[in-house]
Amino acid sequence: MMVRIIRRMPLSIFVLGAFVFGSTNSFAQNSVLKDGRIGYVMTDLFWSVYQTETVEECPRGFNDGPREQFEQLFPAHEFLSIEETQLKQEIETWHPNTEPDGFEFLEVEGGLSWGLNLDGKVGPNDFVHPDGTPGIDNEVYRAIGCIIGFRGPDGVEYIFQNKAILDRRYNRMMIELSGVDDLENDEELTVTWYRGMDRLLTDATGQKVMAGGTQRIDHRWGSSLVRETSGRIENGVLTTDPIGDLVVPWMNLSVPSIHQFKDARLQLNLTEQNATGLLAGYADVDTWYYQLIRNDSTHHLSNGQISGISLYKALRRLADAHPDPETGENTAISTALDIKMTQVFANHK
Amino acid sequence: MPTGFQVIVSELEGPVFADANGMTLYKWPLRILRNGYSGETPGIPGCYDEVLEVTAGLMSPYPAGIKLPELDERPSCVDLWPPVYADAADEAIGKWTILERRDGSLQWAYDEQPLYTSVRDSQQGDVLGGTTRNSRGDSPAYRIPLVPPSMLPPGFAIKSTSIGRILTTNTNESVYSYEGDSATTVACAGDCLTNWNPVLAPALASEQGEWSLLERSPGERQWVFRGKPLYTHELDTGSWSLEGSDEPGWHNVFTQKAPAIPASFTVQQSIAGNVLADANGRTIYRYFCGDDSQDQLSCDHPADTQVYRLAMCGAGKPEKCLEHWPYVIAGENEESPNRTWRIRTIDPITGRYVNAEHEGVLRVWTYRDRPIYGYGLDKAPGDVHGGGIGEWRGKRNGLRAFWLRDDFMGGIL
Repeated sequence: MMVRIIRRMPLSIFVLGAFVFGSTNSFAQNSVLKDGRIGYVMTDLFWSVYQTETVEECPRGFNDGPREQFEQLFPAHEFLSIEETQLKQEIETWHPNTEPDGFEFLEVEGGLSWGLNLDGKVGPNDFVHPDGTPGIDNEVYRAIGCIIGFRGPDGVEYIFQNKAILDRRYNRMMIELSGVDDLENDEELTVTWYRGMDRLLTDATGQKVMAGGTQRIDHRWGSSLVRETSGRIENGVLTTDPIGDLVVPWMNLSVPSIHQFKDARLQLNLTEQNATGLLAGYADVDTWYYQLIRNDSTHHLSNGQISGISLYKALRRLADAHPDPETGENTAISTALDIKMTQVFANHK
Repeated sequence: MPTGFQVIVSELEGPVFADANGMTLYKWPLRILRNGYSGETPGIPGCYDEVLEVTAGLMSPYPAGIKLPELDERPSCVDLWPPVYADAADEAIGKWTILERRDGSLQWAYDEQPLYTSVRDSQQGDVLGGTTRNSRGDSPAYRIPLVPPSMLPPGFAIKSTSIGRILTTNTNESVYSYEGDSATTVACAGDCLTNWNPVLAPALASEQGEWSLLERSPGERQWVFRGKPLYTHELDTGSWSLEGSDEPGWHNVFTQKAPAIPASFTVQQSIAGNVLADANGRTIYRYFCGDDSQDQLSCDHPADTQVYRLAMCGAGKPEKCLEHWPYVIAGENEESPNRTWRIRTIDPITGRYVNAEHEGVLRVWTYRDRPIYGYGLDKAPGDVHGGGIGEWRGKRNGLRAFWLRDDFMGGIL
């Protein structure tokens, strides 16, 4: 359970590392920064879940999944019909609502979370970053943090998504930085999101993605995915301005689907080989939910003790942004995703 | 082949074996499911005149022993799949053998797989009971039409897809032809060969039927199919690719194209490929359903129980279904272009086919005699939000988009 904890170090450590081991000076003769451009391709993307070894963020344990809930709801299922049991649960899954389902939902109870302060405010419901920064908005974490399937390193969602990011060209999102003078400090640059078309360059094991690969930009199927924003680099950390509506292709089990983020921004530690950090913003709740259940059948959800029925209610309850103009109910929920990218040359032809 | 059987060519599946009346023959191969097996072990008929009453629990997470729906009307396996009986005087020939059923009756088998016809088929050439298209993964244990051995030279294969029966190598590489080539001359030479690899024939290969040979250079012979030399595309990124056909003058090779789609339909580009859409650009979906009985009976046809579909599309409420999964309505002057794409009249509340005079009837498009649908939350052309809606990513009680181009999903067509 240490994986997700140790892999993200405070930004200051990266800065110190750059100082001690030598700056990634963009003016080095063999720099991959060419004509002010450098590209990175995504190799890892998953909901940021702050985990402690003692699971103190979930003091009452983990949530039940569909299998456990079914046993509690229908202990004598052999006397019941499929309409009264299986289809009843599937209807609740595919036609979700916010009414209580009779099961207590276990939210994260700890006060710490990875993420960013998305609204610029410090409120009573906000988390505190492990480095002490207050005002962290990450309500998706509050909803999924005590569901086994979303926790690393062996939660079913964690495994499927990390594999799919590497294997599936559909998910091949990348960024290209342009107008870059220096990867250490640059007051103004442009960040463009694209989808790449090619397999990743790996080492001989096929598992470790290597810097220096090439990705053709997907100008055909991926043209609607292109987004552009501005950003700046300070002490090797890229911070972008929010993107109004970022669409991220997300296919982990053969159903081409998406996530939609409003006000999405990146905070990445840059080197000439890698970009590592956070993608944060407000996820559209319904898109988030249907992406999950379209790719993962009730069987797959059961393996991660993920009750779609209960989780939808939690997501709607915890949604904290973009109220529906008619109902006033929030339609989006704050979130942060751990993101890892590897340097790549973007081929625009 | 024994007397009384024949090979007929169907619109979608190409050549299939049929009985004396032209009814397509089907087999029910054993298939591993999540919690066990369904289908038939070779040599042992498993489809009988018994109405199964409870689920088999073959698909996680739901347990076995739950009562199946509408038991008063539930058909038995043989109600839907009549066995192909043999007479005592019949004799086995080659792969055609005769099995004894539990009641002592005799049933024809091919490769030891018991043979059936489908009640969904009503005329010669119908293949409405099942398909050879790859169902993959967690689909039900489907019945599959019995296909005669192909006449392909070694090294080739055919894959049935939504756009036709596509010719590939036996390693699933798409095969292409070039407009500038002929059976005896090739325009693709020199630099052209950087991206295009001639499909070479072995030294002992000989010409037969639609297959001939072209000698590109002394000792180097290239396969030619229907007058066109064949190539693979160096830049294809996956199996059964259509990417090479994006190059001007180059085409995938089909042994048989899919029947024409209705004239009013459109093709829309999505972020995952091209999908079939209605006249307004709204993506078209097919409904798939198979129950969790040991029989694995289908529930995707209007003659089947509608309990599963109504649950998924409208939480049991037909009116909601019409909003969430609207039928694709046929235009007043539209007509069925072939037997694969037909216009049928349906009662939108019961989901059953009815005659045209029925009150409230809708005139809807069908594919393989099953209605096709839109998805209520698709707002713009190219939206495919309905894909995977339903149990098991839409494979067992849900919707799958009608894909026409797959660059990302690994052979989903």
